[in-house]
Amino acid sequence: MTDTVIDTGTLVKRFGSFTAVDHLDLQVARGEVHGFLGPNGAGKSTTIRVLLGLYRATAGRVRVLGLDPATHGAAVTSRISYVPGEVTLWPNLTGQQVLDAFAGLRGRRDEAAEQRLAAAFALDTRRSVRTYSKGNRQKVALVAAFAAPTDVLILDEPTSGLDPLMEEVFQQCVHDAVAAGRTILLSSHILAEVEDVCDTVTIIKDGRLVESGRLADMRHLAASTVTARLSSGHADTVVQRLHRTGVTVTTDGGILRTAVPRPLVPAVLGVLAEAGADDITCTPAKLEDLFLRHYEVAAR
Amino acid sequence: MTLTRLLVLRNRLLLTCWPLTLIGLCCTLSTYEQTYPTAGQRRTAVELAQLNPGSTLLYGRLPDPGAAAQMFAWEIGAFVTILAAVMAVLTAVAVTRAAEDDGSLELLRGCGVTVLRPLYSALTILTGAAVLLTAGCAVAITVTAGQSDGVSVSGTVMFAAVVGVTFLTVSAVTVLAAQVAPSAGQARLWGFGALGVAFAVRAVADTQQVGWLNWVSPLGLRAVVEPFTVDRWTALLPGLLTVLVLVVLAVLVAARREFGAGLLRRRDARNGRLRVHGMVGLQARLARPSLLVWTVTVAAIGTLFAAMGSGAVEQQRDGEVGGFLGAQLGTGDPAAGYLAYRGTVIGIVVSVFAILSVLAARHAEDTGLTGQVLATGVRRWAPMAAQAAVAAAGCAVVLAVTGVITAVITPMFLDGDDIAARSLAYALGQWPTAAAMIGCATLLIGALPRLAALAWLPLAASSLLALLGDLLGVPDRIQDLGFFQHVPDIAGVDRPVGPLLWLAAAGTLLVLAGSAGAARRDLRAG
Repeated sequence: MTDTVIDTGTLVKRFGSFTAVDHLDLQVARGEVHGFLGPNGAGKSTTIRVLLGLYRATAGRVRVLGLDPATHGAAVTSRISYVPGEVTLWPNLTGQQVLDAFAGLRGRRDEAAEQRLAAAFALDTRRSVRTYSKGNRQKVALVAAFAAPTDVLILDEPTSGLDPLMEEVFQQCVHDAVAAGRTILLSSHILAEVEDVCDTVTIIKDGRLVESGRLADMRHLAASTVTARLSSGHADTVVQRLHRTGVTVTTDGGILRTAVPRPLVPAVLGVLAEAGADDITCTPAKLEDLFLRHYEVAAR
Repeated sequence: MTLTRLLVLRNRLLLTCWPLTLIGLCCTLSTYEQTYPTAGQRRTAVELAQLNPGSTLLYGRLPDPGAAAQMFAWEIGAFVTILAAVMAVLTAVAVTRAAEDDGSLELLRGCGVTVLRPLYSALTILTGAAVLLTAGCAVAITVTAGQSDGVSVSGTVMFAAVVGVTFLTVSAVTVLAAQVAPSAGQARLWGFGALGVAFAVRAVADTQQVGWLNWVSPLGLRAVVEPFTVDRWTALLPGLLTVLVLVVLAVLVAARREFGAGLLRRRDARNGRLRVHGMVGLQARLARPSLLVWTVTVAAIGTLFAAMGSGAVEQQRDGEVGGFLGAQLGTGDPAAGYLAYRGTVIGIVVSVFAILSVLAARHAEDTGLTGQVLATGVRRWAPMAAQAAVAAAGCAVVLAVTGVITAVITPMFLDGDDIAARSLAYALGQWPTAAAMIGCATLLIGALPRLAALAWLPLAASSLLALLGDLLGVPDRIQDLGFFQHVPDIAGVDRPVGPLLWLAAAGTLLVLAGSAGAARRDLRAG
């Protein structure tokens, strides 16, 4: 068994003259949570549908669990749980009946897990789907996905209808799933949820790969932000010493602010501590910054 | 006014296409003059029509002397009033509960629109549509009828008023239903149910000689006003009074109900479970409610034809029935001819059910449901194939129930040999036709989903050939290409089943091809 669960090589998907996915390489290793990032219309959902065998790739290699989903769709999807971006359910069934339907189609289920998850998500499964809000429909799909005995979870913007409390439950579910050895592909344009749970990310835009790798490595590329309050007498000497370490500094009414490349952070903090600065903060690069930087680069 | 205009704008297709169709139908009066140029020809046609229970059932009684205008009010009048009633149900729900259920009114209610304002707007639109219909029909007749026999100003006005008041009455009934029903779909169902009752009451009034019943049915209005014969304008008053009462009731109920909910609460919480294994089981479970409605409908149609058929068969034995029904009954054993004709009508209705069932697969695909289903390890071709299989099984259920019920009931009304066995055979014999329709629809949806609307084409063409082929003089070998009228007379000497086997085989092959086609293309997803 290979250790790469999802593997595409120069994947291309065209609809007529429109190229939705353009030479995309996407690798997801067994047991990791992989963030799949991009703005709306970047080609995330299209890629996911190719992975599920719902779309046929125009060109390139696609392997999911070692199989080509275009020819072995059912064999692949029987081991995958999928939550689409827009969850549609049968309006005249209840939530419980929908769970029964999905489990019945799959042929395998863990009913205890379903009940546990429905309780965790505060989902009343006796109600008719017709009365469910978007968030409740999403919960049904999430319960079905996490409870199903599968190896891989493919989640397409799964928390867009959930409130913050439920997002916490969702993150707990992700942690539990990974602890149980499952692999997760989590597509999103919401950065915070990816940042908190993902080990690796792939960023795409206009169907093309922008960047891919371990989140920890990518944070290296961005600078941490350091702020501090300085007493008026020390300000000038501190700024000069910081310049000597190689960072640019702005001061505004005694508040010092600087962007520091990761290797220089200890030195800069040392200077500030020695000068007796107050209210020192050091914030590691947020994925947001990475993300924005890529969009801006791509937009140029 | 803004809300009224907004509702008109949202339903502009409904509010233009239907009235135009109805007004177009009103332009046909002079064709009756042209079809029967001499008084003698017309006299024969009128006498046949007056004696014919089939046409009496469908259109009502044709009054003497049967002038062109009277024939128009009798035949086209029946179509126009039924269509006006159907339009009334659709429009009344569209401007009341449908706008509420899809959430578009919610935003407006948040902008200072009062509780009753949407209802008043809806009533304004419906009244406007009724006035428009009345004026349009009157103008259409005045302009196109020319100097046709029996046309008068008062008759024209009365005919148009009958159309308008019929529309208004059915609208009022549906508006009230929309205040009580738990959902828009339910209100629509109730409206159509009321329409079915109104038709049945009218049919009984005309065929069983109980004329007073026409006073209580909106569709009987034509019979009590008698445009171009008596022009009894006072007969419109009870209808208008009923509208007033219904509207007051609707307003009272509307003030007492919650937004988005009828007077009757929707049963939202249930403990039921679903024990399904695989695609076919799931589709069968999902199809159950509509299967029930269709079974009842088709069985009712079969029974209605059984009850009304005795006269036609008797006349046919005496060689009296001509025209449309005469062509349908053919020249063989009259009873067999009538049962075959009924079989064709049942076949047409079942085919509508079959095609609608298969088209549900496309809807499921467009809304993304199919994608979710496929992601549970279901094979790519399975949803399409399961939908077709369930549709075919559903048709079998509908036909079996209808066959058994008509086999029990028809012998009570119809004298002849082997009536029960023939009733059963002519009903069950429609299954291969339905299977062929399912095949065509499956192929289109599976392989060429963009052309899915063409699934109706085989039904439309086959119905035309079956119902009007003889009348229009279409050669037999072309008529034989239609999917209907291939069921042999089970009590006859010669019982060729070849065509039925061909239809069933073609249906099966097309389903396989359609399912294979679905597996070879990208999923359509919203």
